[in-house]
Amino acid sequence: MASRLFIASSTATTNGTVRGRVVHSKWTKALLTFLMVSGPGLIVMEADNDAGAVSTYVQAGAQYGTHLLWTLLLLLPVTYFIQEMVVRLGIATGKGHATMIYQRFGRWWGHFSLIDLQLVNFLTLVTEFAAISLALSKMNVTPIIGVPLAAIILITLVVTGSYRRWERIVVFLCLLDIAWLTIAFKVGAPLHEVVHNTIVPTVPAGGITASLVFLIIAIVGTTIAPWQLFFQQSCVADKRLRFSDLKWGRLDTFVGACFTIVVAGCMMLTGNAALTHRIGFNDPAQLAVDITSFAGPAVRTGILLLMINAAVLGTTAVSLSSAWAYGEVRGWPHSLELPVRKAKGFYFVYALCVCAAAAIVLIPRAPLQLIIVSVQVLAGLMLPSAIIFLQLLLNDKELLGERFSNRPWNNWVNWAIILVLFALSLVLAAQVICPRLFPGT
Amino acid sequence: MTLNMMRERKRFDDEHQDSFIVVHPLDDVQEEKVDTAGVGPLRLTTSVKLSLMALRGYLILMTLLLLYHVMDLSGLFRQWKW
Repeated sequence: MASRLFIASSTATTNGTVRGRVVHSKWTKALLTFLMVSGPGLIVMEADNDAGAVSTYVQAGAQYGTHLLWTLLLLLPVTYFIQEMVVRLGIATGKGHATMIYQRFGRWWGHFSLIDLQLVNFLTLVTEFAAISLALSKMNVTPIIGVPLAAIILITLVVTGSYRRWERIVVFLCLLDIAWLTIAFKVGAPLHEVVHNTIVPTVPAGGITASLVFLIIAIVGTTIAPWQLFFQQSCVADKRLRFSDLKWGRLDTFVGACFTIVVAGCMMLTGNAALTHRIGFNDPAQLAVDITSFAGPAVRTGILLLMINAAVLGTTAVSLSSAWAYGEVRGWPHSLELPVRKAKGFYFVYALCVCAAAAIVLIPRAPLQLIIVSVQVLAGLMLPSAIIFLQLLLNDKELLGERFSNRPWNNWVNWAIILVLFALSLVLAAQVICPRLFPGT
Repeated sequence: MTLNMMRERKRFDDEHQDSFIVVHPLDDVQEEKVDTAGVGPLRLTTSVKLSLMALRGYLILMTLLLLYHVMDLSGLFRQWKW
């Protein structure tokens, strides 16, 4: 790619110059623009394949083999359509999601969304560190050393005062998830079965049971999480994406969604190996150890490292969504481009989230199972209402104009998604109230 | 984009007809976004307002139920019975 640097002086930029690359073909221009704009979409999607997601997808594979792969294919457009709205809103307003809810729906909804987000995020962070602790202990690293070290690395990752540096590192971590494809290939199921069960929805042997219903709800809840809305809009605003970047922002989100779904499918196939070889396990770290007998030590180490990677990605994204949202609402400077001394509150919230979650995991006999259940239910409760606000915001033609507001077909698709999510949320709520509502396994 | 910069880009484009400039969003001049600060709360129809009120009630109820469920699971009520 032959390109050279273009520098134009300008009084409007902080450093007095606008730096650009000079290229000589339209294709190179398109590719380079995409590479420069992409990041938030890939990160938000891949960070969603966090420790909880690894656990859920692997469990789905271990219980039902390849029978639930079709749910992932269905969730691909759902997750794309939801996040695409966030990209439009972020580019049009240059503001985060928390700001928009406060400004457009008032203090009650603003406070509710913020408190709920912070609570769900914090509980999610605890599960991320629990996964780090679990994976490290299987690698003979004591959590007392490993967990604080992970927390320090996660804080160091963001305090460099450069959005680009953080983004490049995190995109690299996201791409490491390609290793799941290798693992799935090594332990995977027959190709025709995978393709068939991905395209054709099938009910596993045993019919519709409570465990199947809740596993499907867990898959939906894992694939679409409330923090993603807040994270990507703030990320788009922090990266200062321009109106002209919209199509590349959309492509970034679509590529991210496809990549995430493929990786999630590979996690299910890894779980399927446990079903095929009749291996029982309580968590993915245990699975990694148990499948060494037929998959080899490389797969064991690979799964454990990927678990840690998933938790690290989840932690940085979830903590940032909390810090951005809190900074926006409090009116504090909140940008990864700012050094710590200029955005103390923003970085403090990030560090506090990380350190507090890490500390809880180190408490002996902490109620981690209770925390995991609470995360799933709270996130399930919050998600449909969060998407309703997004839908209302994107229908504000007076503010956004024709270019950024929803088209009628967008609305039909989104309301259908909201209805399904609400139905799942109600089922989840019903299970909380009446635990014996559905037949057992 | 400032006038000075526009002139520079125009001159560059004239000199290099077959060239394109690609600028990273963080290196570009910050563009003016939609003004949200002055517009105030979103104007909602009565049906939407009522739906949001119902949603608020649902969320409060469910949050309280969840709180009860978590306290129950943690064995708090069993301790009180003693």
